[in-house]
Amino acid sequence: MIVDPLRFLLDFLAFYSIYLMLSLSLNLEYGMTGISNFGKVMFFAAGAFVAGALVVRLVAPLAGLDPSLVYDLSKYKVYNVMLATEVSRFFASSPGVALATLILTLALGALFGAILGWLAAYPAAKLKEDYLGITLVVAGELFRIFGRNYEPLICGSLGVSVPDPFAWVPAPAHDLARTAFMLAVAACAWLIVDALDKSPFGRLARAIRDNDLAAEALGKDVAKVRLTVLMIGSAIAGVAGGLYAFYTGAVSADDFTPVRTFIVWVMVVMGGAGNNAGAALGALIYLGVDRVLTIVKHSIPAPFDVNYLSYIILGVLLVAMLMYRPQGLVPEKPRPLLVSRGAELEAARGGGEEVSKGARA
Amino acid sequence: MLPPEVIYDAVIVSNLVALLSIGLTLTYMTLKVPNFAHGDLATIGAYVAITAYELAGANPYLMMPLAFLVPAAYSLATYLLVYKPLWRRGANVVTMMVASIALEVATRSGMHVYADVMREAYKTYFRGVMFDDVYLPLGGLRVPGVLLTSTLTAFAMTLALYLFLTRTKFGVAMRAAIENPSLASTLGIDVEKVYAFSWFLAGGLAGLAGVFMPFRVPTDPEVGWLMLLKVFAASILGGLESVFGAVLGGYIIGVTEVVGIYALSKPPISISTAYRPAIPFAILILTLLFCPKGITGVNWRSLLRRGEER
Repeated sequence: MIVDPLRFLLDFLAFYSIYLMLSLSLNLEYGMTGISNFGKVMFFAAGAFVAGALVVRLVAPLAGLDPSLVYDLSKYKVYNVMLATEVSRFFASSPGVALATLILTLALGALFGAILGWLAAYPAAKLKEDYLGITLVVAGELFRIFGRNYEPLICGSLGVSVPDPFAWVPAPAHDLARTAFMLAVAACAWLIVDALDKSPFGRLARAIRDNDLAAEALGKDVAKVRLTVLMIGSAIAGVAGGLYAFYTGAVSADDFTPVRTFIVWVMVVMGGAGNNAGAALGALIYLGVDRVLTIVKHSIPAPFDVNYLSYIILGVLLVAMLMYRPQGLVPEKPRPLLVSRGAELEAARGGGEEVSKGARA
Repeated sequence: MLPPEVIYDAVIVSNLVALLSIGLTLTYMTLKVPNFAHGDLATIGAYVAITAYELAGANPYLMMPLAFLVPAAYSLATYLLVYKPLWRRGANVVTMMVASIALEVATRSGMHVYADVMREAYKTYFRGVMFDDVYLPLGGLRVPGVLLTSTLTAFAMTLALYLFLTRTKFGVAMRAAIENPSLASTLGIDVEKVYAFSWFLAGGLAGLAGVFMPFRVPTDPEVGWLMLLKVFAASILGGLESVFGAVLGGYIIGVTEVVGIYALSKPPISISTAYRPAIPFAILILTLLFCPKGITGVNWRSLLRRGEER
């Protein structure tokens, strides 16, 4: 089987940027703050649903589409593939509108994700980790059931097509531009999470993860930190969902099952919770296995779907990881939380070698 | 007035949810981990019966002992090989949950592979399987046999468990070990043996529930997983600390779901019946937010007294 290496690479990097954002956001929530978000897929779906529900309807008047087809649900259900193609054609001739729509949709996805994160903070403040996990799994399933059955959103179980906001880029550069944009967005997410990680806020989040009672006793607003983290993490997941919708060109509610959440957990736990390098490595390993299996699965003579085999391998691997290397492939490095002036003075006197090394790192 | 089919379905669903909730609650009481793979134990039980039915035409009810033992052994193996080592190491609850989710995905995918391999090997159906049920003419109504068998099983198991936990030495030791493991172990109770037995029993009861599933719906390897969140709802509603609370939760969830969606899908509301799973999910979220200890945890007497004072 021959695969065009450049296309494979661009496709790989496009998916990588999506998964990287998801694993970074879970790392922020679970790895750094200790929130057991087992409903990641809900926030991811939020961004995708926004793209699916809004793009065609927003751009239709500009593109001069027949409003009776767009705003009459029964017709929209039938014609949305054609309408999305029309909008893509319109995007091909007006790059400005295309980019503005792309940015606006991603921003709305982030906003919708953040709102859901804000809602999720309420049970997160009240419930133990296990109950919170169950609540978020269930909330994600409720969200999917709603998406599949409430037709005005994304045409129910049929799903909708999403126009291509890069239609204006001519063919050879098209995929490159799209992947470059997605990588740039993922890099922004990385910078945000990394900056949070290194800031006093990140240290506070870790303190809450390690002992929330102690943090509370020291006068820290634990609930507010959790709320902020959930909103930021969910906004990132929402943007990832928007990118996913634009990249695959379609949104279907049944794409957002709890297995997606499981995959993000695999990435974070395998890579190493609590540090972004681990989250990035975990996403890389998962995606590597997944993409290679997708390509070779047609050449494997098995009487069953090879996807199931990959889920079995992932599940067993994750259990083995939890049992034998719970810190992940890249363990979180302990870092001194406080380098006070006293410690620095002591270091100057030659007594605190370790501390000053920590401060430089 | 409800049509009889709705009542039959409500009772059957309730029986299955109750059988599954008992086991889920038992295992939760031991290690305090919600076992996401619990639904798949029912799938294994269902497939034990399906395999015998498809290959030898065996009566599914005759396979009940095996449908109890196979998932029970699988559940015990997961406890011994995964949960116990993690628990001994002092792993936190999130780690244990992630492990159970990993086992869930692996088990469900394993059942998919099993179904596909068997279909290829024997050229017969292993997905969308339904058992032929006998219908009993009772007072002019056609009562499905599975209504009686599943009800009998649920009642017999609840009664047996009650007698076991209150009348036998091992059962009392089991309650002690679950309620206060450190005190129980100083009194010479082998806590780990008790826990292992709980996981075994939970798997077996789930497997029995699985045998009834193909009588009701076309069964494929997703069948147990699709029940799971409903079972969580019932167990949490039951308080997750007593198996009888779990039975009660099972019946409330089963009846509310089936009767609720029937009522809501009729005028004046007329929503789609596809929203059916949303009912137990909504109950679950409301329970967790407003009375996280479940219905058995609410101090009803003080609530009533407050009512009297007004």
